[in-house]
Amino acid sequence: MPVVKLKKYRSIANRSLQNVLSYRFSYVVTFLSNAINLLAVYFLWAGIYGGRETVGGYTWDQMKTYLLVTFLANSVLSWYSETAISGKILDGSVAVDLLKPIDFQTARFSETLGTSLLEGGISTIILVIFSFFISGLALPHSALVYVLFALSLLGAIAVKFGVVYLAALLCFWSTGSMGIVWTRIALTNLLSGALVPLAFFPGWLERTALLLPFQSIIHTPTMIFLEQAGTLESLKLIGIQCFWGAALWIAGKFMWNWAVRQVTIHGG
Amino acid sequence: MSIIEARGLSKSFMQAVKEPGLAGAVKHLFIPKHIEKIAVQPLNLSVEAGETVAYVGPNGAGKSTTIKMLTGILMPSAGSISVNGINPYKKRMENAAQIGAVFGQRTQLWWDIPIVESFSLLKDIYQIPEPVYKANLDQFTELLGMNEFIHLSARKLSLGQRMRADLAAALLHNPPILYLDEPTIGLDVSVKQKIREFIKKINQEQQTTVMLTTHDLGDIEDLCKRLIIIDHGSIIYDGSLSEVKSRFARNRVIFFQVGVPMPELYNLLSQTPGMKLDRQNEQEFSVSFDRYEYTASEVVSRVMKHGEVIDFRMEDANIEQVIKAVYDGNLDLNQKGE
Repeated sequence: MPVVKLKKYRSIANRSLQNVLSYRFSYVVTFLSNAINLLAVYFLWAGIYGGRETVGGYTWDQMKTYLLVTFLANSVLSWYSETAISGKILDGSVAVDLLKPIDFQTARFSETLGTSLLEGGISTIILVIFSFFISGLALPHSALVYVLFALSLLGAIAVKFGVVYLAALLCFWSTGSMGIVWTRIALTNLLSGALVPLAFFPGWLERTALLLPFQSIIHTPTMIFLEQAGTLESLKLIGIQCFWGAALWIAGKFMWNWAVRQVTIHGG
Repeated sequence: MSIIEARGLSKSFMQAVKEPGLAGAVKHLFIPKHIEKIAVQPLNLSVEAGETVAYVGPNGAGKSTTIKMLTGILMPSAGSISVNGINPYKKRMENAAQIGAVFGQRTQLWWDIPIVESFSLLKDIYQIPEPVYKANLDQFTELLGMNEFIHLSARKLSLGQRMRADLAAALLHNPPILYLDEPTIGLDVSVKQKIREFIKKINQEQQTTVMLTTHDLGDIEDLCKRLIIIDHGSIIYDGSLSEVKSRFARNRVIFFQVGVPMPELYNLLSQTPGMKLDRQNEQEFSVSFDRYEYTASEVVSRVMKHGEVIDFRMEDANIEQVIKAVYDGNLDLNQKGE
C-alpha cells in the first residue's frame, strides 16, 4: 500500500510546516537576517569587482546571478533542519521516534521538506524584491533551463539532506552538536561553491571538489541557471545529483542501523 | 504462549573510566579505558495477555533498560524477546505498531501545534480507521477531561495535562500492549487518580496488557495484581502483590484512645510476646503485632476488658514499607516467610 504509506510521511511534513509557522516572530527575524546577509555578500562582491571586468571568468552580472542562486539553493534547506535532527539525538527524543512505526530517515526527510517549503518561500520573496533593485541579472531565456534548474534544486535538497543527516548521526557518539554542525557547514560552504565559485579554486582543489557530493548543492544549480552547462551537460549534472542523493541516503541507512545498535540513547 | 516473553535477556554498556582531575581527563583522551557495566543481568520474564504488571526497583536498577529492550529501542546484549510473537529489535516497526508507550519524562506531542493535530498525525502514522479514531478520541477526551486543552499546543500545557494527552496519544491505535514508564511522576493527586482510573478501564475493557514502572506505590496498589521487583539488574521478586503483602507486610498496628489510663494493661501488653506497646500519652497508645499471631479482635477485646475504649483505628503495613526494606537490602525476598 504505497499510497497509504506515503500519507504518513505527508502528514509529518504537514505538521512540521505547521510547527514552524507557529513561530511568527521567528520567521520575521529569519527573513530580516537572510536579507541582511544577502546584502552584505552583495556589497562585498561589488567591492571586489570595483573596476574589474571579470573575476575568475565571471562577469559582475554573472556573479550577481550566482549570488542570488546560491542564496536560494542554500536556504531551501533551513537552519532548522540543520539542527533539528542532531537535537533529537542529543536530547534523547529519538527514543520517542523509535516507538513509532515509521522509518526514522524518511520521517526526518519529510519534516525537512515541510520546513523547506516555508524557508524556500521566504527566500523566493526576498529574491524577487532584490531583483527589482538590481539591474543586469543574467537570467536565462529558455523555459527548459528553468525546468532543469528546478530539478537541480530538488537534487540539491536531496544531497544536502544526505550530508546533514550523516553529520547528525555522528551526534550518537558525541555529547555536543555545535562542533559537528559548524564543521559540516564550513566544509559544505567551501566545497559546494557557496563561498566562492569552484572555478576560483586552484586546479587540484577544484578537481577534488568536483569529485565530492558537496558540489551538487550549489555548484550544479548555478551552472545550470547561468547556462554554463548545456542541456546534455545539465542532465548529466542532475544525474550526478541523483547518484549522490541515493548514495548518501543508503549510507545514512547503514550508518543509522549501525549507530542505533552501538549506542545508548541519551538520558535514562 | 505469553504475550511478552523474554529469555536470558541482558544488557551491558561500556562505561568510560577516568582518573580524577584534569590529568585523568587528558589521559583518557589518549588512552581511553572502559569497563563493562551490566545494567540488566540475564533475566526471564513472561507476561500474559491482559495482565497488569508493576515493574519496580530503585533508581538505576535496570527498569528502564528492560522496558527499552522490550519496546525495541535498545538492542539486548544477549537473550531473546518475543512480544506478541514479534522480536521487537529485529522488527522495530512491526512491533511499534502493536504497542503504546508513555515515557513520563518525555513527550511524543508536537511542541508547537495543537494537541489534536498531534493526534490526527498519529491517526495517519498508525493508519487508524476514521471511525475507530473518532470513537477513541471522543472517549479519551471525556475520560481524561481533555476538552479544555485539546486545542492548545503542548508547550502551553501543565504537566498533568501533558501527561493525560500523552497517555491518550499512546492508546489511540488500540495497542494490545501498553508500556508506562513512570506515568504519574510529578503529578497531583487528582490527576494521578484520573490516570489510574483510565488505565484500569482500558485494561478491563480492551484486555490491554499493561507493564508499568513507577516509584509511586499508589500506582501499584491501584493498578497491578502482579509485582516484579528488580535490583542491581536482576529480578528479586516476581509474584502477586497480595503475596508480598501477606508474606512481608505482616505487621499491623492498632491505635487506641481510652477514657482513663490503664497502667496494668500497659504492663500486661508490654510483657506479651509478639506485641509491642507504644504510648503516645496517658490516654493514647498503639499496639503493633504480627497479624498471623494475633487477630485484630483478640487485641481489641483484650484492651476492652480493662476499660472503656473511646476510639480506635487500625493500620496495615503497606507495600511501601516492604519495598523500602527490599531497596535497603534488609529483606531477602527469596527466603520463605517463617
